[in-house]
Amino acid sequence: MAVAFAAVLCIPAAAEQDGPGYSFGSTTGKNEACLTCHADSQKVKGASLINVTQYGHTTHARIGCPSCHEGVAPTHPTDGVRTPRANCQQCHTEVNSEYVTSIHAGKAACSGCHNPHKVESPREISGNEINQMCGGCHEKFKMSAKHGEWLPQADLHLYMLPCITCHTGSKNYFVSMYLVSTKNEGKLDKPEVATFAELRAMSGGADIIGLIDTNHDNYVSLTELRSFNRNSEHKTLRLQGMVTPETVSHKFEILDDRRNCTFCHGSGPGLMQTSFLSLPQENGTFRRVAVEKGAVLDALYGTPDFYLMGSNKNNTLSIIGLAVICGGLIMPIGHGFMRFLTRKNRMGKEHHS
Amino acid sequence: MSAKKMVYLQPIPIRIWHWVNAFGIITLIVSGAQIRFPEAISILGSYKTAIQVHNVAGLVVAVFLAFWVIYYKMVRNSLDNIYIPNEEDLKHGIVRQLLYYCFWYFIGRPSPFHASPDAKFNPMQKAAYLVVMFILVPLVVVTGILLMNVTPLRVLILMSGGIKIIDTLHFLVACSLFAFLFTHVYLATLGATPLAYFKPMIFGWEEVEDHDAEHEETHDGDPNGTEYRPVRHYPEYSTKATNHGA
Repeated sequence: MAVAFAAVLCIPAAAEQDGPGYSFGSTTGKNEACLTCHADSQKVKGASLINVTQYGHTTHARIGCPSCHEGVAPTHPTDGVRTPRANCQQCHTEVNSEYVTSIHAGKAACSGCHNPHKVESPREISGNEINQMCGGCHEKFKMSAKHGEWLPQADLHLYMLPCITCHTGSKNYFVSMYLVSTKNEGKLDKPEVATFAELRAMSGGADIIGLIDTNHDNYVSLTELRSFNRNSEHKTLRLQGMVTPETVSHKFEILDDRRNCTFCHGSGPGLMQTSFLSLPQENGTFRRVAVEKGAVLDALYGTPDFYLMGSNKNNTLSIIGLAVICGGLIMPIGHGFMRFLTRKNRMGKEHHS
Repeated sequence: MSAKKMVYLQPIPIRIWHWVNAFGIITLIVSGAQIRFPEAISILGSYKTAIQVHNVAGLVVAVFLAFWVIYYKMVRNSLDNIYIPNEEDLKHGIVRQLLYYCFWYFIGRPSPFHASPDAKFNPMQKAAYLVVMFILVPLVVVTGILLMNVTPLRVLILMSGGIKIIDTLHFLVACSLFAFLFTHVYLATLGATPLAYFKPMIFGWEEVEDHDAEHEETHDGDPNGTEYRPVRHYPEYSTKATNHGA
């Protein structure tokens, strides 16, 4: 009873009473009684197999296995009893009350999108991975066709943006920059989010942040971004930006203001000013590194694949364009002026004709 | 005093092409300005409308460019003759036309060139239109098609240096064409009357002075005088041309 009560309130301190291995700690070692088997691919398979690195990172690891799987008998797994599972809403009440009003309610359970043994917050996950969650149900071609009914270059938008940017309301947005690389030195291949191992190799085994943050102050300045963009040493590596919501609601509504393209495409909208660099970590998650405010447009300027129409236009180019257009007026104005002054010379001829 | 005669200068397909192009290019300029400066310009309403209008107008101009090439090259077979400057144009024609625009026009001397259906453009026009129609317009069309299909044509875009290079080219060429538009319209007012050169592009016919009788008298015994056809109307230019040639 005590265990059940603790699980409901997400206070699994009581679990400690059950013995070593069930504890409220910060490392996966505390769950070792379960993980002895459940992390071993020889012993368990499928969803029961836990990736220790991924799980160890989650809050669920901190509260411990029995918080959700209460009352597992010492005879497990030979007792033939199915392991009990907690309902997510027992802890995630707010999310659940929002979710039940959403279009997804009844169509997908929490585990349809979230693996409870690999829970990551939006800032720890790449936009591509978020879209993979949605892609589990929403078929790519159908989505592309559906969006194509109203959205110009739908394929490009679906590739460059996480679905939640338009399908969850958030007060604040930021541009999340990922390091992407083309594989096998092929510059024309479609770039993919660079893996930790890949970046580690490029940085020569040192901390990968050093690829951009050259002074290692855990802060990316405009100068550092520029020098990264211009660095010819890593030609297959570049930055890609995704507009990402700061907080994610679980309503997944269709937000009509996102049909207004100037939400993103416009000069200097607020959401383009804040940016972060998302770097992959050894445990498969991402960490955010702060980037100088307002720098994102410059930051992405050196990326050959990236051009956000109407937003990251080059102002110098606009001025050159204006000068070219004004140059076109020089001849008509100059000649027209002379024409006016010398009109008498042609008077007779024009009457003549 | 010379008699007047009507020359059928612009056949219907060319007039249709010209005005579709004119309307298309103005639409492209307006919608293009809104696409680049959405925060300042909203003539066409929403950004999406501006993009769609820009795409449609761009496609229309592109299709009509193909139509123009086919008509002039294959149907009339006069594309090379009209648009590519010949040796005489390069040696003397361009300079002569430049002198006319810069000096002779102001002192009231007549144009050294008169258009005919197979030689519509003076040497300067030929040089300008060669650049505009064979370099700038195709360039803006090709870059526009690439920008319209970023995902399907991404390999082509990357091979051309990336989307920014394509966008920069598209923008700068478009600005150049916009700049040329001013000169184009202004020079069209330099006919005998300000509207004289607009009429053939609307009605097809241009009213020109018939100098043929005069010309025959002038060039008696001068076999070289007829070589540069447009000049033959004017003895003073014809003599210069002959001198240069010699």
